[in-house]
Amino acid sequence: MAERNLDSVKKIREAVSQDLLGGRISQVLGWEKGHYWWQSRPLFARSEADLEKLTWDSFCVINLSRYLLEELKDHEKVGVLVKGCDARAFNRLLQDNMVKREQVILYGLPCPGMLDYNRLCEEAGAVPDGIVENNGTVVLKTDGGEKEVQREDIMLDKCRECVYPDPAAYDQMLLSPQGEREAAERFKPVEELEELPADERFAYWEKELSRCLRCYACRQACPFCSCRECFVEQENPRWQGRAYQPSENFMFHLVRAYHGTGRCIDCGECERSCPVDIPLQELNRKLIKDINELYGDYEAGLDAEAEPPLLTYRPDDPAAFSEK
Amino acid sequence: MPRTGVFICHCGSNIAGTVDIDQALEASRNFPGVVHADEYRYLCSEVGQDIIKKAIEEYNLDRVVVGTCSPRMHENTFRKAAAEAGLNPYLLEVANIREHCSWVHKDMEVGTPKAIALLRAAAAKAALNDPLEAPELDVEKRALVIGGGIAGIQAALDIAEAGYIVDLVEKDPSIGGRMAQLEKTFPTLDCSACILTPKMVEAAQHPNINLMTYCEIDEVKGFVGQFDVTIKQKARYVDPVKCTGCGICWEKCPSKTPSEFEMGMTKRKSIYVPFPQAVPMIPVIDRERCLYFKKGRCQICEKECPPQAIDYEQQDEYIERRYGAIVVATGYDQLDPSVYGEYGYGQHPDILTGLEFERLFNASGPTGGKVVRLSDGKPPKKVVFIQCVGSRDKARGMNYCSKICCMFTAKQAILLKEKVPEAKSYVFYIDVRTAGKGYEEFQRRAAEEYDVAYMRGQVGKIFPEDDYLVVRGVDSLSGRNIEIKADMVVLAAASIARHDAPDLGRLIGINSDSYHFFNEAHPKLKPVETHTAGIFIAGACQAPKDIPDSVAQASAAAVKAVGLLSKEKLLGEACTAEVDHSQCSGCLNCEAICPYTAITPVELEERYKDGTLQRTVAEVNPALCQGCGSCTVTCRSGSINLKGFSNEQILAEVDAICLQR
Repeated sequence: MAERNLDSVKKIREAVSQDLLGGRISQVLGWEKGHYWWQSRPLFARSEADLEKLTWDSFCVINLSRYLLEELKDHEKVGVLVKGCDARAFNRLLQDNMVKREQVILYGLPCPGMLDYNRLCEEAGAVPDGIVENNGTVVLKTDGGEKEVQREDIMLDKCRECVYPDPAAYDQMLLSPQGEREAAERFKPVEELEELPADERFAYWEKELSRCLRCYACRQACPFCSCRECFVEQENPRWQGRAYQPSENFMFHLVRAYHGTGRCIDCGECERSCPVDIPLQELNRKLIKDINELYGDYEAGLDAEAEPPLLTYRPDDPAAFSEK
Repeated sequence: MPRTGVFICHCGSNIAGTVDIDQALEASRNFPGVVHADEYRYLCSEVGQDIIKKAIEEYNLDRVVVGTCSPRMHENTFRKAAAEAGLNPYLLEVANIREHCSWVHKDMEVGTPKAIALLRAAAAKAALNDPLEAPELDVEKRALVIGGGIAGIQAALDIAEAGYIVDLVEKDPSIGGRMAQLEKTFPTLDCSACILTPKMVEAAQHPNINLMTYCEIDEVKGFVGQFDVTIKQKARYVDPVKCTGCGICWEKCPSKTPSEFEMGMTKRKSIYVPFPQAVPMIPVIDRERCLYFKKGRCQICEKECPPQAIDYEQQDEYIERRYGAIVVATGYDQLDPSVYGEYGYGQHPDILTGLEFERLFNASGPTGGKVVRLSDGKPPKKVVFIQCVGSRDKARGMNYCSKICCMFTAKQAILLKEKVPEAKSYVFYIDVRTAGKGYEEFQRRAAEEYDVAYMRGQVGKIFPEDDYLVVRGVDSLSGRNIEIKADMVVLAAASIARHDAPDLGRLIGINSDSYHFFNEAHPKLKPVETHTAGIFIAGACQAPKDIPDSVAQASAAAVKAVGLLSKEKLLGEACTAEVDHSQCSGCLNCEAICPYTAITPVELEERYKDGTLQRTVAEVNPALCQGCGSCTVTCRSGSINLKGFSNEQILAEVDAICLQR
């Protein structure tokens, strides 16, 4: 059983129930416990009873902002619980004109980083029965006893590398901020790949992408994928061949990544949702790195007012791309 | 299935020399949809066009592919021919098998298959071509001339004479430009002011010319026939209606600053007209220098002005106007020769540039027209002229020849001899270039009758010694070292593009060469047109040029502008962008990227469940769209298509080239 932070949950529930029951919003997007203790799934709360299920624990990893695309069709105004990445995703949607700011109330939840089930099991040596969180450490409970590990060591990769755990946009901040994290070396794998000769780089991606099932889970999870019809499904012209072959996998992944140029908020949901563990963040981060190098540092989603580099023109923009 | 006809041009031997026409013809017959194929030696000729027209009728063709030169050359010719045969002109497709194929290959084995691939691609695209209609656009019967030098004045006068209103915009307080700074003009030695000032006055008084001095271009939007221009009228702080140009204000003004017109060799006041013949004769207050603006006190000009024309409250104004055509005539700058340390420019008052030296001859110049050394006021006995300072210099300057220096140096040497008969001139040159009517004779006269010593060679060092300048150089013809104890040195500094030419080019949307001179559309056949329809260039903003060439080019640009203004309607762009609303998610990235503000959001009502939903989508205004295609590539969902270049058409071309070798 995952321990729930009861104080926090109470605080969150109080704040959102005021707005929901008071009629300011007709739905709250939050999390509830899933089938297993290590899963928290999206909650679409419309009533007091629904709110009873609301949870906030170390497994609320799913980015809720993405659900606004559908939910705002049925609701005039919706409340959303946002971690750092959910808030950046919200800004993404805002910049893409997918939502209107006044349609949404954002409840800010500074995020301690979410835990990785696979790492838990590895550390415990078995599937744990549950965990207890202390300050900075986690106690894993198994049949064989208990093991205390550093929380950082069992966090998801994307959370370990997260720089902005506090929501960049919110109407109410419900918990106390975490503060900006040490900029993890998120571009290191990209730099290592850049060092490789072209043919080795190609071989690397051919191998990685050969696993792709083209289930498009990465696209479904992504806050920058908001086209009404994705290019992979368009028939006329048919950009994406249906054949299951390396060139078609390249086509999909490269175009997907390019569509995120200057737009990807680096939430890592694509990679997390990939059932065959393709390192999609490396593709995204290559483009984030390129944008930073070409047009100056830009963190998509941090500031909805900041001009996206690919939509603005400055006379001193680089005229040519490097030969690298 | 379309009924496509393919027509292949030999272009004499231009294409036929590298492409096996028969083989290409045979291959074309097997392309999908092709029902007829033919060839001709010169397809663009009347006979050639007739072959196409007759075939359209005879074979009932509904698509035409011509394998010829670049569409830039003859697309219109063939479209017109197709239209005459009753076909929508946009159903014709050009395969460029000359510039893209025969000209870049040497042998038939390479050229022929490539030509076939290009023809196949064009046929595949043509099959997807839709009939298009070009919209008719209005032409604003008003021209804008940017730059009030001799080129701008001439262009404005010519357009005005043809009966159209012209706004002549000049950034300085007076028109006149570089020519106003000159004393005499080669090769006839007319007094520059004597021939320029009548033109300035004519421009100022012409009923069709609206003089806008002390103005800058702030923004240019729109397109040929309908340029929307914002002009910034900088505050003069002088009421132009009240001012009589009496000159009391600048006489009384206590603050002085180096005069731009006199190349900084003398001072002007903070309220000033740049030179005595200024047009209009209305001063401006230099806000940066004026004591009142700097320190809040003085106001002498205000107190002294008889008609009380001083107005410190004046603000910059922004004037918005629409123009059918624009002529750019912004002139040139002189290179600062201080980059050449060996010449010591800037370190000694007797080392001058050509333009500075020119001012010494002028009666209203810094020396009152006496040619004397600025160091001690004595007339120079020996003057050394150095040519190509910054010109023809790959390493440190400009690769090009500045064209006017050989001639103005000969002129200045002659003028010097006339003013100071005992003076002796020495000219260090690389080559003497005097192409032009009467130019060679003029230069020979300088050398033979005015005792000017021409020495082929370069100067390595100039340094002051006692009260003269030691000039050390090499005579490259004899190989001897030369040392001249000169009283003055004149550097023929290169003519370069205006320092703000890149900004202006960007503002008005015309491109420049690597030296920032504005580019003509074609170096031979379109010398005053730019790649932007409706914008023309004249004078030294295009390349270094002397007065006769600038004036000739200005008149040429004026004719082009007048030709445009005289049209009742212009045919607009038929190949405009189009949004598929069902696919558009309304992110409006296209709106941000569109350089013509042709895209705007519109609200759409859609059925959703039992009710309706409002959503935003992008919409293209076809009258504003210029078909650049920027929006189509920024649209991730492919919801925007450029008519005539749709995604489907381009993919069909790619497939036709790639799928079958």
